[in-house]
Amino acid sequence: MRKAQYAMVIDSAKCIDCKACVVSCKVANGTPEGFSRNWIKASEPDFAAGAKPRTHFQPGACMHCEAPICVDACPTGATYKNADGIVMIDETLCIGCGNCIPACPYGARFRNPQKRTADKCNYCPERRAAGLLPACVDTCPTKARVFGDIMNPESDAARLLEQHKDHVVQVINQKSNTAPHMYYLASTAPVDWTHEAVMPASMATMTGVVDPVVKTLVGLSGLGVLVMLGRQLLSGHDSSHDSSHDSGPDVHTGSDVQAGQAHKQQTDKE
Amino acid sequence: MRMYKRHDRSDIFIHWFNAVCWFLLLVTGVGLIHNPALNPFGDAFPQVLRGMVGGGGNLLLVHEIIGVAWIFGFVGYILVNPRGAACFLREVFAVSPDRDMPWMFRKLVLMTLGEKALKAMGQPSALLPQGYYNMGQKGFGQVSVIGGIVIAVTGVIMLLSDVYFTADATVAVSWAVTLHYLAVGVVFAGLLVHIYMAAISPDERPGFRSMFTGSVPEEYAKHHHRLWYEREKARAADGE
Ligand code: SF4
Ligand code: SF4
Repeated sequence: MRKAQYAMVIDSAKCIDCKACVVSCKVANGTPEGFSRNWIKASEPDFAAGAKPRTHFQPGACMHCEAPICVDACPTGATYKNADGIVMIDETLCIGCGNCIPACPYGARFRNPQKRTADKCNYCPERRAAGLLPACVDTCPTKARVFGDIMNPESDAARLLEQHKDHVVQVINQKSNTAPHMYYLASTAPVDWTHEAVMPASMATMTGVVDPVVKTLVGLSGLGVLVMLGRQLLSGHDSSHDSSHDSGPDVHTGSDVQAGQAHKQQTDKE
Repeated sequence: MRMYKRHDRSDIFIHWFNAVCWFLLLVTGVGLIHNPALNPFGDAFPQVLRGMVGGGGNLLLVHEIIGVAWIFGFVGYILVNPRGAACFLREVFAVSPDRDMPWMFRKLVLMTLGEKALKAMGQPSALLPQGYYNMGQKGFGQVSVIGGIVIAVTGVIMLLSDVYFTADATVAVSWAVTLHYLAVGVVFAGLLVHIYMAAISPDERPGFRSMFTGSVPEEYAKHHHRLWYEREKARAADGE
């Protein structure tokens, strides 16, 4: 059962695009060059006559979704939603198949080129174990990012959510709504940067075609065995046998070696 | 009673080595699949198994070690007994459709629905004589050989995925997962029948025993593998 739901409540109006969160995340998690677990998106300023051109900055990262498509895409369960609501990657179990990466509508995942496994924000478990906040939250000079368990009404995140409950927004892809647990207060921009989740063809084939085929084949063969066993028990022996020069069963990987000499008849044994 | 040799010591070894590896790989492998849309035996099995070995990562490691040992076992067998391996492949893939297809159909009906059903279909219940392997054995042999190669190749791809593969090559890994599952599923379906026929069906006791002793009694050879029996007899007569 779910015990908690850790989440991030963000006042993106407070973000000044200093990118301290991005830097501290990279330092805390040793993310390789060219990759980042979190980001700041910027809205396009409106230069039309009469408009006030301004840019809105939007901090983001994995949204630890309620209906994470990345979990559906992972064959091994290396990506899973933990009891505390955090979507985790078990690096020791991840085979680096990459299925989960296009399955995230937020592009929150990447394949770590050093570890060669999937990587993304995990809310800094090492830091939390030491009683610290996730690196990005800790670092943010304007406190735009607030982190906590939204199932615990005492937490800052839950209180903030409750206070603004009438004007909280989520960035959602209409075609792939993962019910993200990343909440923006009042309003945020940009909101049109998500993409429809892509389930890799191999995984879609595995769940949609291969799995039913395998289960049907195994089911049919199991049923066949049960029928044969039933006949054997009822009639006392394999009924097909009387009428045939047949043979049955010993299908083995073995073979007859040394074809030539092997069959020189063996010594008369009993 | 005269005995006819069917299996060499290395054949017997590789058969049982394969059986043990398959059992362990199947159990650990099923425990490694954990996905809401798959879970062949439900959610609990992978959880329990992972708990037993101290986490999914350890289970993966165990599966990988046994898998590599399995591949090396076969490489070793082929090195020790190349003629046996070649002979096995030749026998397993030698299908004569006119003889084998009716055999397969009749045998299937006889084993499941019975002789009456076969007669009702207007088919004679006599089975055409078979060679070193009958068509059922050949079918399973073919599935095992092809399936085994697919399983080994896709397994190695997955094994090397987080060692050598770069992000743009993951499409191969992703398909390897799918094919691995498919091949194991198909071979396992055949394996159920193989185990029943060889170890549970009583008429096949001599065949089962030969997987330990290496040879079958004349009566059995004549009855079940007539063409092979005659070939062997002729060969023995020539040699004498
Ligand atoms: S944001 Fe993406 S990676 Fe994070 S839980 Fe949601 S779907 Fe998965
Ligand atoms: S790459 Fe993603 S989908 Fe593949 S095993 Fe790792 S976490 Fe699961």
